[in-house]
Amino acid sequence: MGGQACVLYGAAEFSRDTDFAILAGASNLARLRRALAELQAEVIAVPPFEISYLHRGHAIHFRCQHPEALRVRLDVISKMRGVDSFEKLWQRRVSIELPDRTKCEVLSLPDLLQAKKTQRDKDWPMIRRLVEAHYFSNRSHAMLAQVRFWLKELRTPELLVEVCHSNSTLTRRLSATRPLLLKASAGDLMGLAVELETEEASERERDRLYWAPLRRELEALRHAKRG
Amino acid sequence: MIEPEELVGDELAEWYRLTPVQRWLETEKLWQTYLALGGSLDPEPDTQSPFFHPPASRPRAADGRTGLRVVRRGRV
Repeated sequence: MGGQACVLYGAAEFSRDTDFAILAGASNLARLRRALAELQAEVIAVPPFEISYLHRGHAIHFRCQHPEALRVRLDVISKMRGVDSFEKLWQRRVSIELPDRTKCEVLSLPDLLQAKKTQRDKDWPMIRRLVEAHYFSNRSHAMLAQVRFWLKELRTPELLVEVCHSNSTLTRRLSATRPLLLKASAGDLMGLAVELETEEASERERDRLYWAPLRRELEALRHAKRG
Repeated sequence: MIEPEELVGDELAEWYRLTPVQRWLETEKLWQTYLALGGSLDPEPDTQSPFFHPPASRPRAADGRTGLRVVRRGRV
């Protein structure tokens, strides 16, 4: 669900760790523990690898010690802000088979975007690029669901104007939930850029608020660990 | 219609046109080069991440080798 998923969907990313969204159920965690044991993965930092932390939305961080994966970092998370339950993510997942026949189960693009709407600067250009890549790959044979997706998620003013101009009815309907589409319909690139910034700032603030209690919990765990 | 090159330049436009598997393979090549040059697997410190903790996030040098430190400087 992290940098590797972004590469598959079109971003130019060089991520040094691998992030997994997992189902935090007892039997699945037992399977995960076995896989991590094979990789000789050790928990680093806090929190500890316990189901309760995953249920609360924490990520658990590991470093592999197996010679074939030496020092590779893995992060697992089960619950993300504004993202559906794992069951729904799994239903919508995209399966990609690599040339060596390894099958990658990847978050769907809309779910990946939702997971990327964080407080970090680096996630926002990534979101923009991911939707651009999807738009350019699909605009010549677009289905209604895809147009709806672009109107909801595009963050490139020029492309938003292009989509709005060729889909005026849908644009009017969706502008109730994304008012900046009205600026796009009017071809107001400057106004649109300002509205996109406001939209981003508001999501980032929501993410900060979501993480505030979790950060306090992490700090308490670090404090307890230090003794 | 706006062409990708107009927005993101030739290089990224070309990257967009690759299939997911082609992008994966290109990234693998990049990885091989990175590791052959001694690149570290430690993620770069992400100061905006909710998980960021300075003492735990101190990176090793990107080339994985010990850093140089000046211990004595001669007069010029």
